[in-house]
Amino acid sequence: MERKKTMVRDIDRTVYDIKDKVNPSYQVREGLTAEIVGEISKAKNDPAWMRDFRLKSLEIYNELPMPGWGPSLDGLHMDDIVTYIRPNTPMRGNWAQVPDDIKNTFERLGIPEAERKSLAGVGAQYDSEVVYHNVREEVRRQGVVYTDMESAIRDPKYGPMVKGHFMKLVPPTDHKFVALHGAVWSGGSFVYVPPHVKVSIPLQSYFRLNAPGAGQFEHTLIILGEGADLHFIEGCSAPKYNVANLHAGCVELYVAKGAHLRYSTIENWSKNMYNLNTKRALVEEGGTVEWVSGSFGSHVSYLYPMSILKGENSRMEFTGITFAGKGQNLDTGAKVVHAAPHTYSNISTKSISKDGGVCTYRSSVEILPQSYGCKSSVSCESLMLDDRSRSDTVPAMDIRNDDVDVGHEAKIGRISDDAIFYLMSRGISEEDARAMIVTGFAEPIAKELPVEYAVEMNNLIKLEMEGAIG
Amino acid sequence: MKVAFQHANVLPGRTWNRLGINDTEFRAEAARAVPYGDKAVSLPAGVTLSAEPFPAEIETGMGKEAADFVEKNRNCGVSLRVAAGAKPERPVFLPYELDGARSAVVDENAVVAGEGSEVTVVMSYRSRADLAGFHGGLTRLYAAKGAVIHLIQVQLLGDRCAHFDNVGAFAEENGKIDVIQAELGGRRALSGVKTRLDGRKSRLNMDAIYFGDRKRSIDFNYVAEHTGKKTASEIHVSGALLDESEKTFRGTIDFVRGAKQAVGHESEYNLLFSPRVRNRTAPLILCSEEDVDGQHAASTGKIDADRLFYLMSRGLSELEAKKLIIEAQFRPVTDRIPDEKLRAAILEYVKVRLNGLESLG
Repeated sequence: MERKKTMVRDIDRTVYDIKDKVNPSYQVREGLTAEIVGEISKAKNDPAWMRDFRLKSLEIYNELPMPGWGPSLDGLHMDDIVTYIRPNTPMRGNWAQVPDDIKNTFERLGIPEAERKSLAGVGAQYDSEVVYHNVREEVRRQGVVYTDMESAIRDPKYGPMVKGHFMKLVPPTDHKFVALHGAVWSGGSFVYVPPHVKVSIPLQSYFRLNAPGAGQFEHTLIILGEGADLHFIEGCSAPKYNVANLHAGCVELYVAKGAHLRYSTIENWSKNMYNLNTKRALVEEGGTVEWVSGSFGSHVSYLYPMSILKGENSRMEFTGITFAGKGQNLDTGAKVVHAAPHTYSNISTKSISKDGGVCTYRSSVEILPQSYGCKSSVSCESLMLDDRSRSDTVPAMDIRNDDVDVGHEAKIGRISDDAIFYLMSRGISEEDARAMIVTGFAEPIAKELPVEYAVEMNNLIKLEMEGAIG
Repeated sequence: MKVAFQHANVLPGRTWNRLGINDTEFRAEAARAVPYGDKAVSLPAGVTLSAEPFPAEIETGMGKEAADFVEKNRNCGVSLRVAAGAKPERPVFLPYELDGARSAVVDENAVVAGEGSEVTVVMSYRSRADLAGFHGGLTRLYAAKGAVIHLIQVQLLGDRCAHFDNVGAFAEENGKIDVIQAELGGRRALSGVKTRLDGRKSRLNMDAIYFGDRKRSIDFNYVAEHTGKKTASEIHVSGALLDESEKTFRGTIDFVRGAKQAVGHESEYNLLFSPRVRNRTAPLILCSEEDVDGQHAASTGKIDADRLFYLMSRGLSELEAKKLIIEAQFRPVTDRIPDEKLRAAILEYVKVRLNGLESLG
């Protein structure tokens, strides 16, 4: 029987690729020096502790080596990256006051519409600063704080809270790009949910990088009080340029006793982006963190959200999908440290590689000596759509006591001829069978996303079947 | 002599250094490798000693440092040729006993199996329980068209011994490499096996058992490199960790572009018996060919409570039940060893080690 190929279309990026004229009110020159870091700190009117923190981080950055594993970062030259670009507007609480060019960009991305329909609050960052932040009145009345990081740092009530948590979970010594983040971070969101407050509809922050050759270094800090509940959504995109752009954000999540946090990300950076993002959650007794992660964009990604299960009976769930097409090398996965007894983790990922794209699933599960009664389950599946692409699976487990139950499964392959045959024998056309299988492959992830995002994902993966199955 | 490798058993795809799994160090103090002696190897019909060079440049599981060390310091080993079509009735036995006079064994071996032949080579390494010995081995295997090589390596060294086995294999069309490794003794034991499945429909079958007790540290690196079409690899590892022992397992299935319709399966089953053990695992699948089927599964934990309960409800004590379960785990692999005495020696060795082990009780 002749074996043919399935055609799977590239992601339609038209809406993301629309570029605005670069019209900043202020920007630093390219490169990374103590002067530039000092200049950013001054422009942002940092408190003294933050200025010192930035300079210390820069020193650490200069000392740390580049990662010796993972995709090549040869195309990234820090000397060419502009680390701070302030858009030509202060932060607004009303879309009508946001300048038209910026507002139109977010309109095209559907953010104000989503806010009206289904979100409890929205933050929108354009290049280095947040241009819009708003939270629904009823949510505000519950005591929920959702604001930009800069306002939070200067807030008399929440400033000390920020200082007590900022880069404590992800210290600048962790790796080179988080040290870089510590030096030049700007923008991002601060969320505080008081004890026992349940936010019934999600909050969303959207990060848009418009300027070519620029970096975006937003910091997201979320603190959940005891028994609190929140769903936070993060979206990111940028138009494509011929020069390298850099995203080195940092996300720190503190989940207190019995609290529940769901953190969903749809990452759709352009294919000139180096996405070197660091995310980490600290989960106390009986708390839960759920990560839902879709990685579709960027030229190179290093992304492995980490969960530290610090309290007894805490748990983490990670559900992720990665789609790498032409020119993309996406190294994604998750890390978990079981640091307390009776903690649970479940990692489930899917990846699709096509047209020369490279997907790497990378993970680590660590169970510390005192963490007895832990359970961990890892499952990763990879689909290869042609032989120009590549898909690697690099999981690691380190188990340091015997009272554990750890399972791991990995599968890699193509669309099975038997499955197609089975569906066809049930009267389904070959075309439809193919579509069903590929959609079915992504389905477990899609159903974890909020409806609007699931629709976006289905639009993103425009799977169009042609010819026979391959 | 000092034995030191900085980077042995290198993981074919690097990951976070922090995990300490990218490679491993090996250090040992060993007596000078004096000639092991001329104990004649009894060869079955169809197998001859040969001085011909090995037919291919091949990589080994532990890497070049370990291979170079053996080439430079060898004191024994054989280079075997199996005539085309020959299927010797009995295996080639290469038993090594480490003792006071010969406490260091450094053996370099080669097995080249001619077209359509089938041969079994059994290597065993044993020592007195209290001997501070050293064994370092390098074995290269070449299976020509349709040839089958069964390599069985059994390590039952005492607690003060350091040991490594470095294996490289190559298979032509329809060739089969079948390796059984039993890593049961020693203080520090390293094993690396890399097989290149080059010919169409060539196969690898790799079964390993390990046993960790006291402060033993065991480190594996198994790599199946699929370059030929319709090649198949099966890698299955199972073992038990007790006391303060530790084990690292790296298992890689590498589908190189062009290895169409290749299949690779890998599984690992670890039983843990003490809160002080450490078990590290990195099961990799590297893939640059779409038309393949790769699968990996690993399971790590305590003995299943239901199984234990069932055996105890049949009148066994907890200790007896646990011993039976460990033995049952090893049995499918040991049963394939074609030597009654060696089989019995393995089971006896494990039984003795299990007696009086408090971490089992």
